[in-house]
This record gives sequence, C-alpha cells and structure tokens, in this order.
Amino acid sequence: MLVGDSGVGKTCLLVRFKDGAFLAGTFISTVGIDFRNKVLDVDGMKVKLQIWDTAGQERFRSVTHAYYRDAHALLLLYDVSNKASFDNIQAWLSEIQEHAHRDVVLMLLGNKVDSTQEREVKREDGEKLAKEYGLPFMETSAKTGLNVDLAFTAIAKELKQRSTMVPSEPRFQLHDYVKKEGRGGSCCRP
Amino acid sequence: MDSAPAEQGRREDAASQAARERVPRVDPYGFERPEDFDYASYEEFFSSYLVILTRRAIKWSKLLKGSNSVQKSMKVKRYIRKGVPLEHRARVWMGVSGAQAQMEQNPGYYHRLLKEERNDSLEEAIRTDMNRTFPENVKFRKTADPCLQKTLHNVLLAYGRHNQGVGYCQGMNFIAGYLILITKNEEESFWLLDALVGRILPDYYSPAMLGLKTDQEVLGELVRMKIPAVAELMEGHGVLWTLVVSRWFICLFIDILPVETVLRIWDCLFNEGSKIIFRVVLTLIKQHQAFILEATSFADICDKFKQITKGNFVTECHTFMQKIFSEPGSLSMTTITKLRESCRAKLLTQG
Repeated sequence: MLVGDSGVGKTCLLVRFKDGAFLAGTFISTVGIDFRNKVLDVDGMKVKLQIWDTAGQERFRSVTHAYYRDAHALLLLYDVSNKASFDNIQAWLSEIQEHAHRDVVLMLLGNKVDSTQEREVKREDGEKLAKEYGLPFMETSAKTGLNVDLAFTAIAKELKQRSTMVPSEPRFQLHDYVKKEGRGGSCCRP
Repeated sequence: MDSAPAEQGRREDAASQAARERVPRVDPYGFERPEDFDYASYEEFFSSYLVILTRRAIKWSKLLKGSNSVQKSMKVKRYIRKGVPLEHRARVWMGVSGAQAQMEQNPGYYHRLLKEERNDSLEEAIRTDMNRTFPENVKFRKTADPCLQKTLHNVLLAYGRHNQGVGYCQGMNFIAGYLILITKNEEESFWLLDALVGRILPDYYSPAMLGLKTDQEVLGELVRMKIPAVAELMEGHGVLWTLVVSRWFICLFIDILPVETVLRIWDCLFNEGSKIIFRVVLTLIKQHQAFILEATSFADICDKFKQITKGNFVTECHTFMQKIFSEPGSLSMTTITKLRESCRAKLLTQG
C-alpha cells in the first residue's frame, strides 16, 4: 500500500512499476483508495501483488487508515522537492504505528529526484530519518524509473520469504538488499 | 471446422474496425475514449439510444415550452428518470436542485467570493489537483482555448471560501469539472456544487467525513437486508465496504461508470436526492451477485467490485436507469433516515 502526502507521486510510482511508463500530465488525483494488480516473478515464483494507492489529502486519513490493518507492506513516500511532505513523514509514521500490523513491511521513499525544481530535502536527511526509525530507504524517480522496480521487488522478496519461510534458505535481508542494489540519484551504474 | 471461429473472429475485427472509424475518438463532452474502448458494442447501443434521445427531446421541448424555470412535480420526476436531454440539462438541474433560486436570491455573491483575500492553504490544495483533473479531456488541457482549468480553479476557490467547514476536498474537482462541462457557466456550476455538497449529500466532504462513513455503513446494512449472501462474503473475508465503494460515493460515480450513465444518475440525484446513490450501488451488486460470489479471497473480492462497473450493463444507460428503480426493490426515505441515524450513532461511539 502506498501512502504519503498529496502530490508526492504515489500513483506515478505505481504506474511506472506496473506499466513501465511515465506519462506526464495523464494522472488524475486519487480519491479515497484504489488498487492495481501486478504479477511479479520473485526467484522463480509468481507473486501476485495487489497494490493499493491512497489519497494523500489529510481528511482521507481517517477513511484510509482502516485499510492499514489489512496491508502486508507500506511504501511511505515524500517528494524531495517539497519540504512539507518530508516534514509530514513523522505524522505518517505515528499513523502507521497506530493502525498497521506491528510486523508490517515498511519502506521510506524520497521520490522525484529527477525534478527540475530545486531539491528541498537532502538525501542525507532522508537517510538519517530512515535510520532513526530503522527503515529501509531509497530515493526514487517515477519519471526516470530510478529504483522503482527495486523498491517493489524488495518488498515482494520480503513478503515471499515471510509467507514461505524455508529454514534452509538464507534469510532475505531487506535492509542489505536495498542498500546494495539501490542507486544514487546522480549515479548511472548500468 | 477449425476455420469457422477464425472466420467469425475476422468478421468481428472488421466490424469493430469499421465502428472505430465511425465513432468519434473524443466524446461530446471532450473526453478522449480509452484505448480499450469497445467501439462496436457502443455503436450498437448508441443507435438504439439515439431513438430514445430523440423521443425524449421532443417531450421535453413541449414540457418546457413557454416556461423559464423547472418546478418539481410527479410529471417532471417521471421525465427526469427517463433522462434529461443535454440541451436542457443545466436548466433542469438548476431548477429542481434549488440552485437557480439560490443564485437569484444572492446576486453578485459568487463574484464577491472570488475577490476575497487569499487563503494560501486552500489555494495550494486546489492547485495540486489542477493538472490532475480530467487530463483525458481536451477542454481541460493547458493548451485548450478556452482552458477550463481556470474556470475549475475559480469554482473550487469560491466554494472553499463559501463553505469553510468543507473547504476543498479531493473529489470535488471532478464533480465541479462535470458541472462546468454541462452548464458551460462558472456561476451556475458554483451553485450546483453548493446544492450537492451543501444540501443533497449529507456531509461527505468535511474533514471528518462523517456523512460518507455513515452512508458506507448504511450500504452495508442495506446489502445485509437485500443481498445477504454478498454481505456474508464480505464479512467472511473481512472486506470493509469503504474499501470498495469510497470512490463511488465521493466522486458520485465519475471515472467509475461511463460519462453518459453518470449524467443520467445525476439527473435523478439532483431531483430525488442522495437515495439514488444507494439504488445505483445496490443494483450493481444485485445484478452481479453470482459473479461476486465466485470470489474466494480478499483480493478477489476487490477485483470483482472493480469489474462490475464495466461492460455493457453500465454502458446501456437507459436500461440501467430502469433497473435502478426496479432491481433493489423498495427503498423508502424512512428506512434510509433510520439507518443513517443508527449507523451515525454507532460511528460516534466508536470514536
């Protein structure tokens, strides 16, 4: 499930992941809650993800937090070119703490690193906050696709492991995976 | 033997290709038809609907001849249920909803609202949604002339200032957008939005959204009474009603059902009130009961509820509107009011 302030790019991120496309100016604001399905191949196993997209406007929180309890994973987004959306992350986290399952998979994403608008949130600030709360963290761009598939794949791997739990397999480490595979905003590793 | 289905497939392809060439790519309201639009079945439906539209247009012209305003009456109600022709729609909505009277009693009010002092947070919230309201509509594109984004911005801003308890709630952008497309008039759109948000719908959009939550609970109760198997399925898998219907209620079916069907629903909504919303939802569920009951998981149920808003059943708006008055059975305002009271009380004690 995707959460975060209005306009941080939740729907864009989801469409980029689902269809591999970024079509500027074709998105409509998400009202209430909506979902898209995607089947993902995780280490040779088909995993069906039903990804819920939520409205960011504050008044919808009282409607959407009812869904937290059914979510296996939450992607919490802010917009790196919008300081207010980053400042609100703490409020989102307490919302999540209050309503979501205790063992929900949670990841923090700083979106729109491609933005031509001035960056208002430094990468280090995101990292620091994530560390404070013990969350895996990445910067993403729905526009260029940076780290988008990775974020969802990491979640899918973690969920698959939790549901199958084969003791002989080495345990999947979400934090390490994200750290190892994640790409920096300015970097262009193939 | 094998060639028969292939042959038939080719014929269908050719027919749908021909339909694709005949049916305009942009609908009369400015919406581009989606990639997967079924041109062939739309054309088939529309050729028979055109006959109905023509007949209704003649009847309405007679009814409205010589009178400026539309008053509620049994005859008007019957006529509205059969559909208001596009050319009279704005006038009929304005008349039966009371928006016309409000506008006449408050001359200049709308324009005074627009001149009020700025409120940054309201404007910011509205601005965030400007490019995200009907990007698939050619009239809302930045490049359109005139571009309806400016009109939309004004209507929402004025409304946020007029009804400060509500301000701006996402979803109102789509509703105001439809009103602008139909009335082609900024001030009328404002007063119709006020009729909906301020009078017809019970508190859907204020920050607590209590009216919305209440109505979703009311729906749950109605389904339990009228379609118990579906209620059981939902409960069995722990699917909350808000999960599948919140968008339906907040956007009044915009972007859920086809445009023409939404407008036909709104015809009745302006005249008969919010009860119509329950009729539509109950009809969709009842009609697809067997299909919904095939679901075996939480995710399945959610998928089914998305699928039942698509296809010929909802495109064929005239039959659909007949169905909403027969399929769910009786639905008295007394029942709804009682359920609203009890559900609201329950929500308030839950906190």
